[in-house]
Amino acid sequence: MIRLENVTKVYDGGTVAANDVSLDIQKGEFVFLVGPSGSGKSTLIRLMLRDEPVTRGKIWVAGKDITTLPRWKIPYLRRSVGTVFQDYKLLPNKTVGENVGFALEVLGRPRSMISPQVDQVLDLVGLSEMGERYPRQLSGGEQQRVSVARAFVNRPPIMLCDEPTGNLDPKTSVGIMKLLDRINRTGTTVVMATHDHAIVDAMKRRVVALDGGRVVRDEESGRYERVTEEE
Amino acid sequence: MSKVIFLIKEALVSLRRNILIVTGAVLAVFISLSLAFGALVVNEVLRVNTVAWQQGVHVIAFLNDEDQNQVPSGAHATLQTQVEQWEEVLSVGYVSKSEAWLEFQEIFANREELLDIDPTILPASLRIELVDIAFHESVRFRLEQQQQVVRQVATAADSIEQLQNLSNVLNVLGLGMAIVLGLSAVVLIANTIRLAIYARRDEVAIMKLVGASNWFVRVPFLLEGLIEGLVGAALAVFAVWLGSTNLARAGEGFVLFRLDVSEQWFLRWGLLFLVFGALAGVIGSMLGLSRYLRDADGTGPDVPTGF
Repeated sequence: MIRLENVTKVYDGGTVAANDVSLDIQKGEFVFLVGPSGSGKSTLIRLMLRDEPVTRGKIWVAGKDITTLPRWKIPYLRRSVGTVFQDYKLLPNKTVGENVGFALEVLGRPRSMISPQVDQVLDLVGLSEMGERYPRQLSGGEQQRVSVARAFVNRPPIMLCDEPTGNLDPKTSVGIMKLLDRINRTGTTVVMATHDHAIVDAMKRRVVALDGGRVVRDEESGRYERVTEEE
Repeated sequence: MSKVIFLIKEALVSLRRNILIVTGAVLAVFISLSLAFGALVVNEVLRVNTVAWQQGVHVIAFLNDEDQNQVPSGAHATLQTQVEQWEEVLSVGYVSKSEAWLEFQEIFANREELLDIDPTILPASLRIELVDIAFHESVRFRLEQQQQVVRQVATAADSIEQLQNLSNVLNVLGLGMAIVLGLSAVVLIANTIRLAIYARRDEVAIMKLVGASNWFVRVPFLLEGLIEGLVGAALAVFAVWLGSTNLARAGEGFVLFRLDVSEQWFLRWGLLFLVFGALAGVIGSMLGLSRYLRDADGTGPDVPTGF
């Protein structure tokens, strides 16, 4: 589903955020990208989303080489990839329903289709009563649920999550993780960058550990701790 | 179709939500286009007056009386026919001695002491309008060759030529000002809209993140720019029209200088300014957006650096 081949990313200032990273992620997998701050987790997520161009190497997402993707095709890639970020990235001037529906509006779906799909996904994330509220009227956990709903409303085959629990308390984080787990069980591939030990240990999924932009460990049913031991 | 309705709705909602920024953009268009349109009106007033000065009699040839001093009978008519054929001449009018006396009486109606003269001393004359005022020297020369018939040649061409030169300079200045102010309007509008977009750059980034195409992001902003440009230009045209009309009304008593500009001119240029305002708004939006759309594609700089 996602394949990285000798990917290197060097930022303008000379910082090497990804160094010769190769990775294969199968359809329906749940993969944690772990590592300390600056290890390159977020950069990998951004590269998979073509939010940044690679310096060297190749990335395939859903069978397409996105490193050579022309600019005008990037929106099509992003429509097939749901994204969830630490800071929720909701449009402040739109209601919860409009925020979720926006992902369908960009596809040009008719209004008659958008409304039931939005209701359905809001129900899935437990916010069916909050469709008319604005993001500022919601708690952090609720805003992140809206963000997950927006990412999933289009039923994308892939979800990329960058520290989705970074701003949340442990109890709320568990709620978000249960949601992502449910989504993963529908066959959606989930890649999640995190430095939340408890979550990684509890979920027992594939763990790819990064340090200094390099993959230092790749384990099925892995734990977070081994990374700290290596440090 | 639902996409189009959505985008129009987005633009209208955004106009309502960002009313302060929108007011700023409309004011920027209004002020700069008012100045540009005002300069153009001044230019038109100058043009109209120059044309008025250029029309009419440019050269007068006072003639010796016929049947006297070897001037044969019919010499005036012959000269008139001859002059009419000159290529520098547009038209020739003949004022006989009796008509000259009538004209004299009309001009000096309030000065009775001057009317107590012998009417026969007033000469007949040819009133000549030139194709171009620049020909006055050559026509004067040719008339002066007709010594037998022509007594004296008078021309206002020197003064008209000076006025024309002055008017040409003012015309160029007015047009130059209108162009400079028009260009600065585009820059001002572009910058104001850019500021408006800068305030909403996160919104643009989020739209791109969920897969909105560049045009999907762009269209509401372009519509906003178009509406802002159109409203600002309409206000500018109306304000200048109002000012000019009132000024023309106040200056109705002036004989030498007209301040009025025709309705057709206002209509033509007003429409053109509306189009210009709308275009400036659209171009301003495009310029303002291009940077943020590039950044959101992951092909721009790593960190936006402001302006």
